[in-house]
Amino acid sequence: MGLLDRVSGWLSGGRTRATVLVLGLDNSGKSSLLRALRPHDSPATHGDHFSSGGVTFEAHEAPGAARLRALWERHFSNADAIIFVVDAADHLRLVVAREELQLALAHPELRARRLPLLVLANKSDAPHALSTAHVAAALGLERVTDKPWHVCSSSAVCAGGAGLADGVSWLARQLRDAAVHGH
Amino acid sequence: MTMSRWLDVEVGTDDIDLNSLPSNLALVDLHNDNEYKLLVGDFGRGEEMPKLKIFRGTMQMSDLVLPDLPLGVVGFYTSETMPRQCPVIAIAMSSCIYIYRNMKLFYKYYLPSVEHNTCELEIWKQLMDPINHNEESLRGLTASLQAIPQKVLSNQSQNFLNLDFEQRIEYLEQLKELPDRKNVEIVCITTMKINSVNKHGVSCLVVGSEEGDIIILDPTTFTPMSLAKLCAVKKTPYQMVATGLYNVDYRVTVATRCDPSICTHIKGKKQWSLTLEHRPVALTLVPIMHLGTTLIAVALASGHLHLYDGKSRRDTMFIKDVVSVMKFGQLGKEENVFVIITTNGNLMLKILKRTADFNADAASADVTTDPLSSEKPWLIPKRSKLFLEQSARERENSIAMHETFQHELNRLRLLAAKTLLEVHVKSDNSIAVGALEPIRLTAEVEGLGPVFRVTLIIENRSSTSAAAGLALLFHVHTNNYKVYKPYLKVPLLGPNCQLRLPTKVEEIFDENINPEIFLRGVTGQGGEGSLVKILLLKEGQRSPVLAATVQMPPTDPMMIPYDDMQTATAFQ
Repeated sequence: MGLLDRVSGWLSGGRTRATVLVLGLDNSGKSSLLRALRPHDSPATHGDHFSSGGVTFEAHEAPGAARLRALWERHFSNADAIIFVVDAADHLRLVVAREELQLALAHPELRARRLPLLVLANKSDAPHALSTAHVAAALGLERVTDKPWHVCSSSAVCAGGAGLADGVSWLARQLRDAAVHGH
Repeated sequence: MTMSRWLDVEVGTDDIDLNSLPSNLALVDLHNDNEYKLLVGDFGRGEEMPKLKIFRGTMQMSDLVLPDLPLGVVGFYTSETMPRQCPVIAIAMSSCIYIYRNMKLFYKYYLPSVEHNTCELEIWKQLMDPINHNEESLRGLTASLQAIPQKVLSNQSQNFLNLDFEQRIEYLEQLKELPDRKNVEIVCITTMKINSVNKHGVSCLVVGSEEGDIIILDPTTFTPMSLAKLCAVKKTPYQMVATGLYNVDYRVTVATRCDPSICTHIKGKKQWSLTLEHRPVALTLVPIMHLGTTLIAVALASGHLHLYDGKSRRDTMFIKDVVSVMKFGQLGKEENVFVIITTNGNLMLKILKRTADFNADAASADVTTDPLSSEKPWLIPKRSKLFLEQSARERENSIAMHETFQHELNRLRLLAAKTLLEVHVKSDNSIAVGALEPIRLTAEVEGLGPVFRVTLIIENRSSTSAAAGLALLFHVHTNNYKVYKPYLKVPLLGPNCQLRLPTKVEEIFDENINPEIFLRGVTGQGGEGSLVKILLLKEGQRSPVLAATVQMPPTDPMMIPYDDMQTATAFQ
């Protein structure tokens, strides 16, 4: 925690800290996205920390391989927000992503809580990639009524990550609002 | 209704129209990126050319026009060099295998051609002769060509027979040289790993031909490494499965067209069968690695798709259409994908859920065993303490037990032999056994003496034939006995009939009566002279057919007519 962070934290009247759980199937681009989110000047030891809109995020990336997906639920209890990464170009496995998201959201640790859910339709630059609306429909997000959710397209490969900043700032706003309402 | 174990993938059905066979489906990691592609050797419909269509997930990536109908599509690795090369694709067509590397035609392998049948060749020689190019002689020649069995006939001849007269003449006039060799058609194709069962291990091609040959091709030079003939009598393979490793030990199991049997055992012995509700239309294996089970998928004409684990049904899916081809394996990055092509040409993809479980005891498992085929498990009682003690005792004293058993067994045998001998000796008395098997003769003796009533019971035990021309004769010592009717004619004896023939026999005592007679026992047998022989005679036969001996009882001492004898001697 640098001096500048402390000063800015003091200026903003106490920063909000949040643990965000990054979920998604294998090869959906979770690690690349986190790399894109990490501040460029920060040393490697900084880990998966990034901040946006006055919220400092600590990201936990869960492995996405089929045999490791059962471990996701171990991270549920201390998560404040969820980022779900979907490969928008992998049409075949959209149903698998939908199934895994539904399983996660139906888990007792998450069902009762009003966590913000950010869905990233990743690899939006790939040919045949689906639009955010398509991804939202394919994942059945319209049925998620107990949590605030947001879908944005992202691409870790393109510099800046097109909709990524957008999505993270939405997440920050949600968390700040929740903190205000909570106090 | 239990929750489905499968996730349906939405496939845009409009532009996909597939017409294929099970052997023409392959799941291959075409670009070595662990993203498996679906390769379909498509026949096309109507005028369309056959194509090799490559699907990436649900989307068709590219296609490749094929010169002929594909018979089998396989993908395999030809070298183990690093960096790993992409797998090559082999497509069998007619008598040739096209080998594609990086989707470019790389090599064509032609099956070795064989000599024509000599009769066929002779006919073709005559057909080539312009003298025979008239309707009369052509008809004769085609008739003799038709007489050759179809499976011996070359393609050229078969095509020729399908032409009409004008076309035949035209064809023959165009023909420049005699067809000397015929091409051998490929029937089926598969791959077999050479050295290791590794996913990326080098494989060789195994080709089955119309001639009944199995040829194994070297993966680098595409020359035959080994060749096997199926059978002395020509048998055409239909499908084959290669198991094992070429350099270690392998087995190629071939189903031939001649006997359409489905074997469930390596030695071709039928192990069990299931009765299906409808006609099966497709069959595939469903190996699920992470569950360690292999299920059998059977698609029925009714549109149902059943998954069996051994004999018990584990899952049922309903496909809206009738399945034409199905295959299970890795597609894209997903390991457990069911690829189904329906008769309408639609492609359906089903992904096995990560949480799916096919255990019989899982709560969600839909275990419905067929009541017709399932047998009740044997009721094996639990091992009791008594049983355990007994088995322990048997283990400890096995030798002593065996010796005791043998001893007892020998005693039993001896007893049985003794009894048999006794019965044999005794039966000599009343029951006669002889050459005329179905006739039985028994005798009953009644009375205290000196006049006894002897009843002979003659029985025809045959159920079909009657006995005729029989007679009975008493053979006695005239000093001892007097038989009132020594010769008895037996009337016709019907099958299963019994006759009782009574007669009187009197014991004779001479004048010098032995006082010992008065002292002999009543119940015992008479002396040596007390034997009465009865002979059964048959007309036309010199020797008696049956003989029985009756031991007469002694006359009761009280009944001996002593006084009569005394008076008789007194008169004398």
